[in-house]
Parts: sequence; C-alpha cells; structure tokens
Amino acid sequence: MTQHKGFRTANRRYQFLFWPMMMFYVAIIFAVATFIDKVSAPLWLRTAGALAIAVPLFGALYAVRRLTDETDEYSRMRHLKALRDGGMITAGVLFLVGFLQVFNVAAEFTAVWFGVLYFAAYGVSAGLQKFGRTV
Amino acid sequence: MKNIIRALRTERGWSQQELADRLDVSRQSVNAIETGKYDPSLPLAFSLARLFGRSIEELFDDGTGAVEAAE
Repeated sequence: MTQHKGFRTANRRYQFLFWPMMMFYVAIIFAVATFIDKVSAPLWLRTAGALAIAVPLFGALYAVRRLTDETDEYSRMRHLKALRDGGMITAGVLFLVGFLQVFNVAAEFTAVWFGVLYFAAYGVSAGLQKFGRTV
Repeated sequence: MKNIIRALRTERGWSQQELADRLDVSRQSVNAIETGKYDPSLPLAFSLARLFGRSIEELFDDGTGAVEAAE
C-alpha cells in the first residue's frame, strides 16, 4: 500500500536513512578489510564480516524502496524507470556473462559486482533522466 | 496534454520551485506538467485546480472536445 507523504518529507526521510547506511557501509568495509583475513580467519568471523557489510546495503535498498512509496507521483515514476533500467541492464549483463561462462568463454566472475552494476546503472539512468534524456 | 499551468503560475509571479513547494512535489514535476511531458493524476490535478481556483477542465485540454460534448 502506497503511503504518499509528499516530495519534501519523503526526500528527508530518504536522506536520513540512506546516507547513514552508506557511511556505515564504508566504515564496515574498512574495518573488515583491516581486521579480517579473507583466507585464514575462522569461518564464523568471515561469515560475520560478510553479513556486516551486507546489512547497511539492505538498509540503503530499503531507503530507496520507501522513497518510491512515499514521494510524489512524477518522482516515483522517474525512480521506478531508473530502477527498471538498472534491473534490466544488470539482468542483461548477468545473462551475457552467464552464457559466456557456460560455453567456457568467460572466466569466473565475482557475483558481488552485479550488485555494484545495479546501483551504477540505476544512478546513470536517474542522471540521464535529470537531463531530460529519457522522460 | 496541453494546459495553462505555466500561464497561471507566471501570472502570480511564482517560480516553478514555489509552485512545487505549494503542491509538495518536485520542481521537475511542475516542469514536466507545464511542458506537457507528464499528465498528473486526478488528485494532483485537483490540487492544481484548487490552488488556482479553476476547474480541471479549465486547466487541461485533452484536445478531444469531450468536455464540450458532455456539456
């Protein structure tokens, strides 16, 4: 159920959640990279490190989801178009790399980069919309 | 859809940002509506109509003449 709160309130709530999550993410990345050896550390510690990095990203994704629920209709449409483009680009690259791997053309590809690609494609699409290229 | 939002806004000396603030939407929303790139939903159209003291039919023209026919 959409709970429309208006552009300003929705944007403020988004900023108050998204940026702390991003700062938390950067801090956790540095802490994990500094204190946890990805090869020799015990399994439970490596698992905890991986989960700790993922948690703020879940928070950031939730912030985006909430923003699309609460912002004004035109902004919602623009965000959803950008999310759609990001999802389609990511899925397209995922299929391409996947089939290249199936046919032993491409080497192993670290899955986490697909998440990075999704955020990047979303950002580029949203940026292009700002300049009126797609809307 | 053609509309007279820009004319009514400039008549009152408001910027797009001022109108956006009054409607609690983004400035890009106002620009998209004014240029006909985006047709607002009924609730937003009613908000615009109330703000300018006009009917929705006076603000927007879908070019079909349906409004005149209904009258």
